[in-house]
Amino acid sequence: MSATPHAVVSGAIRLLRLELRRNPMLWMLPLIAALFWIVVYRRSMALAPSWSLRATTMQTGIVSVFVPTVAGAAAWMGSREGRHGLVDLLTCTAQPRWARQLAGWAATTGWAIAAYIVCVGVLYAATGRQATWGGPLWWPAAVGVASVPAFAALGYAAGALRPSRFTAPLVAMAAFFGLEISAQFIHGNDSYWQVSPLVAGPWNLGRSEDLATFYPYLPDLPRIQIIFLAGLTAALLGIMGVPAGSGGRWLRRFAVGITTIGLLSAGTATALAGTGRLDAHGMIAVPAVHDASDDLPATYTPVCGTAAIPICVHPAYAAYLPAITDALKPVLEQIAGLPGAPDRLSQAAAIYRQQSGNGIAVGRAGPAVTGTPPVFHLLLPIQFPGPALTATQLATALRTDTARAIVSAVISSDRALGPAQQAVADGILGLYAAEPDDPVGAAARRFAALTAEGRRTWLMENLAALRAGQVTLHQLP
Amino acid sequence: MTAGRPGLRLARLYLASRRIPAALAVIAACAVALRIALYWPWNTYGALQLPLIIEAGCAAAIAITTACPFGESERATGRWLPFLRLGTVAALTAAATGALVAAATGMHLAGGALETVRNLVGLTGIGLLCGAVLGGALAWTGPMTYLIVGVYALYTQWHGPALTTPWIWPARPGPDIGAAICAGLVFAAGLAIITVRGARDPVGG
Repeated sequence: MSATPHAVVSGAIRLLRLELRRNPMLWMLPLIAALFWIVVYRRSMALAPSWSLRATTMQTGIVSVFVPTVAGAAAWMGSREGRHGLVDLLTCTAQPRWARQLAGWAATTGWAIAAYIVCVGVLYAATGRQATWGGPLWWPAAVGVASVPAFAALGYAAGALRPSRFTAPLVAMAAFFGLEISAQFIHGNDSYWQVSPLVAGPWNLGRSEDLATFYPYLPDLPRIQIIFLAGLTAALLGIMGVPAGSGGRWLRRFAVGITTIGLLSAGTATALAGTGRLDAHGMIAVPAVHDASDDLPATYTPVCGTAAIPICVHPAYAAYLPAITDALKPVLEQIAGLPGAPDRLSQAAAIYRQQSGNGIAVGRAGPAVTGTPPVFHLLLPIQFPGPALTATQLATALRTDTARAIVSAVISSDRALGPAQQAVADGILGLYAAEPDDPVGAAARRFAALTAEGRRTWLMENLAALRAGQVTLHQLP
Repeated sequence: MTAGRPGLRLARLYLASRRIPAALAVIAACAVALRIALYWPWNTYGALQLPLIIEAGCAAAIAITTACPFGESERATGRWLPFLRLGTVAALTAAATGALVAAATGMHLAGGALETVRNLVGLTGIGLLCGAVLGGALAWTGPMTYLIVGVYALYTQWHGPALTTPWIWPARPGPDIGAAICAGLVFAAGLAIITVRGARDPVGG
């Protein structure tokens, strides 16, 4: 007499409930919470409140926390029957061995995913309160979710196939080792190793607030990673059902089918990861899964500050606007109203180019000045990848690099400045060489010594000649 | 029959009950893995991560051997048990240290032998403390958790704010006295508790 479908379902639910109550993952939750706080939350909250920055940083960190803990707990669960010498005793139970194993795996995965959702929820809620633009990025979170069942399946399969008290720690360490070391092998934007769930974008790009602000987050790589992780999960769960004693003939054939499909999916995803390329907006595009609509610029209303020349930035950077205005105000007051001076400063998107190895060049998309009246396209220091800047570092970078770029665009029609143009720029910025025998420095000091009105009057009269490179150092006042 | 025979038999049975041969096999495998991995060109971060992960594997294997399969009945057997616990853990730690240092001989090991010894000793101490609290079978969770924190602390050396407390010794250089003291204290505490009380679990896993 065979069991009714209702009895099978209620039996499976009861088994799952038992496994949920007696799961070691439950005891891992405080550990995960502590690790999440140390490794992910503190680090993410120390970053600027940008959704892209925090979400991509979170993906790398949270996967590092969950993978070894979940793999270890699952291996402990998977090796349970073997460690206690119950394999033979349990062969006479109503459920096939594979079904029992799947229930244990599902319980471990369920607890881990619940913990994951809580962790991500806490971080995203905190980010939501601080961010000035945009909304949660779900793709990085989805990659993390997909990692949980995959590494639980890895641990469970290892524990079931090699039951020993050493299996759990070895699987946990090996999973962590494999995950961390996989990043070592990434060279360039077409590396197969990008399929690792640790990778949230171009490897070694560093922190970049610019990603997914002017253009939407490109989900090509996450899609590939999720396919890979789903395939890995299926293959590893299938492997557990293949050995004799896991179930009946048809069940084992089904397990072989699942394993094959899983391996094919994981292999395809890995191959696709190798076709990735760095797109102009700093994200990895994979042609086979790329949606052209993701290349359209994001729509936003700029936030503008009041200065002699208005400064408009992307709303994601709104928190920086007072600092930007304060830093650029002295320079903008000197050049406002000059012939050729910009009518407005508008923040530009950065453009990314892959270089040899993992090198990535970042620059401004398009020319510095366009349109009539002219608009200067501003690339902020914080748009460049690298360590987070303190308020002082940002102000210094704005007063030197950004202000120099603005002044240079006004006093020169060329990218390279002549000696007189250099001296005028240095004089306006108040940055000149201290050496007394440096002629450019001496001219810059003379120019800086003029009153603001005096500099402005001279520029009004001589700017056209200065821009054309027809003024010599000696002709400077 | 000589007087030493029962003592040897006791030691042999103790070692077998604690899976010492398997632990030695794991330590040897870790040493071989380290040797093979050191032939690979690593970047600075990877070169520091690699030995730490291997050391955590060894420490977890040592900590697991504290699991006692007999529980209370074994505790009532005699006065030699604490000495057996002490001797086993000390010998395994020495064996793991020797194996890892030997595996790195003639190769470039980031941090050097001093750092390897410090990290291994400290991680083993965490495993022993974890064994005393959670039980020998789950003692591996301590080194694993500390490994994640340690790797993150190494990461923060490049991407601040850096974690510089000596209690997270993997992020400190080998000759750092504070880090060595912290690792040594943790090991001493773990060894003392395991020697006197043994791991928590009455029936091993």
